[in-house]
Amino acid sequence: MKATYLFLGIILFIACGYPPGAPVAWKSIEKDLQRKMITTSDSAVIEIPEGNFMFTRALLLDGKKHVTLRGAGVDKTILSFAMQEEGAEGLRVSYSENIVLEDFTIQDAKGDNIKVTDTDGITFRRVKAEWTGEPKETNGAYAFYPVLSSNVVIEHCIAIGASDAGVYVGQSDSVVIRNNLVHHNVAGIESENSRWVEIYGNETYQNTGGILVFDLPGLTQSGHTTRVYSNKVYNNNYRNFAPEGNIVASVPPGTGLMLLATRNIEIFENEIVDNKTLGIGVASYDLIQAVGGGESVGASEVPEEQKADDYNAYYNNIYIHHNVIEDSHIFPTLKNDFGLLFLTKFPFSTPDVVMDGILEDPDTFNFCMTENGDATYANLDAGNDFEGLNTDIQKVDCLGQQIPPIFL
Amino acid sequence: MKYISALLSIWFFACSETHQQVPIVMEEVSLASDVELPGPEKLSEWNLFKGDLKNLQPVHGMLPYELNTPLFSDYASKLRFVYMPEGSSASFRKHDVVDMPTGSILVKNFYYDTHQLVSGDQRRIMETRLLVLEEDEWKGLTYVWNDEQTEAFLEIAGTTRPLDIFKADGKQVALEYSVPNLVQCKSCHEKNGKMTPIGPTVRQLNREYPYNNQLTANQIDRWKSLGMLEGVPAGNLPKLPVWDDETTGSLNERARAWIEINCAHCHQLAGPAKNSGLYLEYAQTDKYRLGVNKPPVAAGRGSAGLKYGIVPGKPEESFMVHRIKSKDPGTMMPEVGRKLVHEEGVALVTEWISEMKP
Repeated sequence: MKATYLFLGIILFIACGYPPGAPVAWKSIEKDLQRKMITTSDSAVIEIPEGNFMFTRALLLDGKKHVTLRGAGVDKTILSFAMQEEGAEGLRVSYSENIVLEDFTIQDAKGDNIKVTDTDGITFRRVKAEWTGEPKETNGAYAFYPVLSSNVVIEHCIAIGASDAGVYVGQSDSVVIRNNLVHHNVAGIESENSRWVEIYGNETYQNTGGILVFDLPGLTQSGHTTRVYSNKVYNNNYRNFAPEGNIVASVPPGTGLMLLATRNIEIFENEIVDNKTLGIGVASYDLIQAVGGGESVGASEVPEEQKADDYNAYYNNIYIHHNVIEDSHIFPTLKNDFGLLFLTKFPFSTPDVVMDGILEDPDTFNFCMTENGDATYANLDAGNDFEGLNTDIQKVDCLGQQIPPIFL
Repeated sequence: MKYISALLSIWFFACSETHQQVPIVMEEVSLASDVELPGPEKLSEWNLFKGDLKNLQPVHGMLPYELNTPLFSDYASKLRFVYMPEGSSASFRKHDVVDMPTGSILVKNFYYDTHQLVSGDQRRIMETRLLVLEEDEWKGLTYVWNDEQTEAFLEIAGTTRPLDIFKADGKQVALEYSVPNLVQCKSCHEKNGKMTPIGPTVRQLNREYPYNNQLTANQIDRWKSLGMLEGVPAGNLPKLPVWDDETTGSLNERARAWIEINCAHCHQLAGPAKNSGLYLEYAQTDKYRLGVNKPPVAAGRGSAGLKYGIVPGKPEESFMVHRIKSKDPGTMMPEVGRKLVHEEGVALVTEWISEMKP
């Protein structure tokens, strides 16, 4: 049998013209590992040895407590889903409590690499989740995808190649995203409709957008209260390869940080450097709707039905302070409506911090930025055809409300 | 020969993916572990059938039943039975699955009839799935039949079985029939994190069934007269149309019935896909929740660059259609339970959206 493998391996090389080199010898532990994950008792540690393992269907862990899934290390234990035939994600954890996933690499799932849903207590530690090869539209949406969960920790992880977000937390509470390395995704880190989130110590580069904090309509909960600090967010100038229709498809290449329709956000002590279109963008859902709908900015509103569930399409209570925000590029991206808009409105001097100026109520609106070095600012007044556009940073230089540390 | 064809398919795969690491050889290795079986190893140990196992002749107390509009499972036929402990009965529920007594067993046999098999063999039973109500919790078990059709064995991790079949349109297809693993079962049979049956709601059961040569009766009436269902109110009961029988409901009703059974087990507020905000129960009246002009939430490439789940009058712009006719694991809906496209179901949903007024 071995001879047959070798023979076919050789044919393969000839047929594909694949560069010579040691072929990757994949092994299958699929049935054994899945059986273990199904039959394991609570409080168990499931060890995956060092090696290259290929899977054809999603690996599932459901309804377990205090279970650890542990490999021998990043790039030592590799779980590949390149040949996946079944399941919308590589690894999925559901309806569990206090699960730890650590020390392995997971690659090339057909959908999301790791999805965790309806779980209280999930830690991702030293896990690399990636799509190999050039980043492309057909890559899965999320590398790390905890959703509808609480007490989420993602630390010392690596996320590469997601066609939506590398590290994505959705509709979750009490979340820590720290010390991760995130690159070549559309969104590097995205917190969506989540509450009490700390994003710090991460390095995000060569994504389309570095860090996004979004609040979208029509979901199970609205997000708020997020601290984004001590991150290095640089060179996020990668082309946007998200499939159209998804919200991140509207993120301009060259975005450092972006806030959408969210409230109670503190952004401080970050290094936001050389993101060519925007250092920090602050947008209402109206703006995204208008641009996404191909209509002129300000002409559209959130459709009535999307206002369900008390959705608030406008941002408020935002405090940006003590960041380094710089950009050595002269031009913003020209491949996005926002980039073109900036070029028209601010030739050769794209502002570092931009908000659309579409507000729910100017009287209760609170937006402060202070001590951000030479960072420049613009309020587009997009809701009034840019009539009140102004770049006077003094107007927003104030001490905002700091958010106490969420976890002590 | 099996190996060669498997390897050839790997070769094909490898060539279609350029400049990626090329998966070449797969050697199955064991992780050496003791596994505690969650149930009896063989189907026969359950004593659900008498005589030759493959004839699926139920023992006393097991009653066959059918649904008005069943889930699509790669054109497999299904033979269902319900068992309730002697003297116990289920309670009527208007919308939900009838509330069954502890000890109940739901049995679903998946098979292909002779006329569906390219080989022309006798009826081929693929698997028998059990839902067993222990105390307050349903447990799912799957038994895979051997080629000889003499026994079925408990399958924990899931498996595939190649089989050449004729689809409903008469076209031949090489099917990799998939038996789910025990968690995959739950990925459909899950409500608020708990395993639950999907089929036996009153609206699904409300239909005639030919119990034997002498007796054809409405299933609800039959369950009532056998003392298996209590608390049924007088008057008209809800009834789901038969998706492919125009005499049973309007286009809208039949499409909604098909969408409910194929999608709503996940796409409802208590289901695993609640994060999408797309709720597809038959009783749902909010058009936005049904996908009309609703943008994708976490669909990734599943949305295929289309803006909305449903654009009234424009099925080609509705990613709901795109997803139900996809076979790509990262795009297809439902996510599990099929390897083939339900052509007739897709046609129904397409027509439904075409006729929908903006």
